[in-house]
Amino acid sequence: MEFLNPTALYGLFALPLLLVPYLLRRKPRRYVFSSLFIFSAMGADPRARPLGRLRLPLIFLLQLLLLALMIFALGEPVLTARPSKVAIVLDNSASMQALTSGKTRFDSARDKALEIFADLDYGAVLDIYLNAPRLERFGRANFTPPEAARALRGLKPVDLGEAPLDYNGALSQLAREQEYDRVYFLTDRPARGQSGVIRVITVGQPQANYAITDFGVHHGSLTDVRLTGSAEVANFSSTESRIVIAVRGGGAPLVTRELVVAAGAQVSTTFEGLPLHPYYEALIETRDSLALDNRRYAVSPATKKLRILGISPRPQALASLRAIAGVELDIVAPREYEKTDRGRYDLEIFHFSAPAVLPRNPTLFIIPPSPNELVDLRNPATNSSVSGWREGHPLTRYVNFSLFRPSYARALKPQTPGESIVSSPDGPLVYATTKHGVGFLVLGFDPFPYLGQDNLPMSIFTVNMIDWFLAFSGDRGKATGEPIPLIAGQSGAEIITPAGEQISLRSGASIFSETRYQGIYQMINRAEKSLMAVNLRDLNESDLRQSAPIVLAGEGNAKGEKSVLLPFWPYFMLAALILVLLEWFINPRMAPFGRRIQVRGAMPFKVN
Amino acid sequence: MLPEPFTPQFLGQLETLRLRTRKEFLGSRSGSYASPRRGTSLEFADYRRYAPGDDLRYLDWGIYARSDRLYIKLFREEVDLFAYVFIDASASMGFPLAAAKFLPAGHIAAALSYVVLANHDHVKIHLLSEPSASISSPFYRGRRRMVDCVEFTAAARPGGAMDMAASLAHHLQKLRRPGKAILISDFLMPAASYQQGLNMLRAFNLDIAVIQVLTRQEVEPPFATGGVNLVDSESNAEINLQWDNRARQNYQAKLAQHNSEIRSFCHQSGIHYSLYVTDRDFSDFIFATLPAIGLVK
Repeated sequence: MEFLNPTALYGLFALPLLLVPYLLRRKPRRYVFSSLFIFSAMGADPRARPLGRLRLPLIFLLQLLLLALMIFALGEPVLTARPSKVAIVLDNSASMQALTSGKTRFDSARDKALEIFADLDYGAVLDIYLNAPRLERFGRANFTPPEAARALRGLKPVDLGEAPLDYNGALSQLAREQEYDRVYFLTDRPARGQSGVIRVITVGQPQANYAITDFGVHHGSLTDVRLTGSAEVANFSSTESRIVIAVRGGGAPLVTRELVVAAGAQVSTTFEGLPLHPYYEALIETRDSLALDNRRYAVSPATKKLRILGISPRPQALASLRAIAGVELDIVAPREYEKTDRGRYDLEIFHFSAPAVLPRNPTLFIIPPSPNELVDLRNPATNSSVSGWREGHPLTRYVNFSLFRPSYARALKPQTPGESIVSSPDGPLVYATTKHGVGFLVLGFDPFPYLGQDNLPMSIFTVNMIDWFLAFSGDRGKATGEPIPLIAGQSGAEIITPAGEQISLRSGASIFSETRYQGIYQMINRAEKSLMAVNLRDLNESDLRQSAPIVLAGEGNAKGEKSVLLPFWPYFMLAALILVLLEWFINPRMAPFGRRIQVRGAMPFKVN
Repeated sequence: MLPEPFTPQFLGQLETLRLRTRKEFLGSRSGSYASPRRGTSLEFADYRRYAPGDDLRYLDWGIYARSDRLYIKLFREEVDLFAYVFIDASASMGFPLAAAKFLPAGHIAAALSYVVLANHDHVKIHLLSEPSASISSPFYRGRRRMVDCVEFTAAARPGGAMDMAASLAHHLQKLRRPGKAILISDFLMPAASYQQGLNMLRAFNLDIAVIQVLTRQEVEPPFATGGVNLVDSESNAEINLQWDNRARQNYQAKLAQHNSEIRSFCHQSGIHYSLYVTDRDFSDFIFATLPAIGLVK
């Protein structure tokens, strides 16, 4: 027998509370009486002493039994047949690496799985599934319990986020299709509800954690030879914390900084003047629950050039950008944008055009037509004037906007949170926002026709824009699980993983997709070697405070699913009902917890 | 205007009653109660030999004719009565409310006082309480003083603890004339206490009547079943009891035994005794019970 809702059994600890009404009833009620002379003559009654003999009536035992039955019924007891075909789904996502008392959540899950194996019949067959990067079977089908135990011992969690999955539906479908008697999902997420076949076993407790959520190294500006690092640190705890972050270059310590991060907040910092190294590593020196996200990697930008993809119905207007040193510009028509490989560009400029979805690269929008995610355009103004601008902002450096006279401008109506850099009386003219660490800038005017010495403010503003985008253009590396693109047709190339494993690439391979672990991947092709930083980029894995619960609802009745459970809590409820009737029969004047009997004429002199 | 139950009809019925005494007292003036002195009433008392100077009108000529001796006829003297009504005014008489116990006790006192006043005798009401708080009324005489009697009892408030013997002793110090003593109390006290008090009254040559007043709540305590913590209204002493049918029966048996002891002591001491439970009809008690025990006729 087992309980589908074992939490209800904690109610058994409350059973002694049933004594309370009896003890309260024992507490003497106080009366003032004319004279106690007669009562004194009656002699002392040992039953009346505070700690005197407590006599419990039969009705108390019945009530005790009634409550116990109801608690057992709430626990939803079921008789279980031993399952003969079982699936074990192990959560091997990054958060399972979190430590509790020196043991990872994954180790705890594995121990639970081994306990399940020990309870199975020898003839039972087992399949093992992993949920990262996707829900799929591990190894061959139909393990015997000892074989499954051996297979489990070789498993370890990966540095990947959990696949977004409806576990209720996916596991239920798995059970139906593979005809499993029982599916156990061992994870660090809590579960709610119940299912006849699916059992979610939760390991680990909510924990505080710190994480580096972003790290990159880039050139400070097109004209600056020094490198600048930027990092973002998050505090997934309930208290403000001092977090020490250090940056290393090529394994050597470069700089250390202490940040004060409020509870649940993120703080960004920059490290200027970093020397050139092949790769960089940022790490949190403060100890916490999950070590994986305390470390981030970045490689130095390979070139100082800024590669721009221009998307414009009027290519000639953008061509003036080529006059800026260090800029490489390719221009395509809007209809060709989707066919273009955007991965090699540092910046995209949508000139009188807008994409269907926001690009993953930093992007400059110039008078983008509606609809788009960022802004709407207000009516054109013939005499546009600047009413204000952000002093000290990188975009407004060295520019006197009082002399700024765009001949055609449209004020912007922001549709997303951001900041207005340059404003007109009708609304922002320059509007900046950041999404997922990527910068987006929207202009209500077109600066490119005016570049050159004839319009110095506009030219300086354009250079400022290039520098601003440069901060986002550094190589941010890849997220774990994201494939690394390869140059097609290479033969004899190999990749060295962060664990030092050398993988030879087959000829003609265009991507390398086994990026399950965080670190620096080295791609070697003959004498040429390039580096790629791969980092965990899933904030849900770093936030160990409280994961979203897995809701199991009504899957026991799903079509085709066979249940090995025989619920018998209704019998408990029936027994409780019979007991209620029995109590009523024995003592009809008493409610289950003892209604007080009114005594005629007792009230006038009762004190309490 | 007298309060209930002293309606004109009720007072008229009271005027038909007369307080009975078992003793003879020396009165201050002529009245309707027997005195140990010889006087001029119509009731023959004795003979004595003639002495020179005796009034020849009282010579019994019949005896002289038969025995040739001169005897004078003696007659009883009839005097007025001094009645003392003692009312227990301790806190226990205010239980559960003064209106439920002390007020009926006061009404009994007033009714008996009116019986005395209607007979042109003297009545004085004493409130028994702590000696420092004990007060008494002046002597009243004549029907019109009934208002004063009622006001005196109505103005009294029960309170404090009382030792009956000590309180009676305090009042008896000022008592000069013997007469009829009527003691009204709940008598919820040890036997020694009330016996000492009653003996003290007897020592003062008073003809005593005792009226015990109890409420229904004292006869049948209506406590809820279970543990009860009882507080004494006078001493604030506490006692814990497990109240159930057995305890209720035990209490009622003890109370009956206590009342029986009072009755027995009164009987042996020549004292009129009566028990009045306040939920009983008041007129019935005055006009049926009191004549039945011989306190009034």
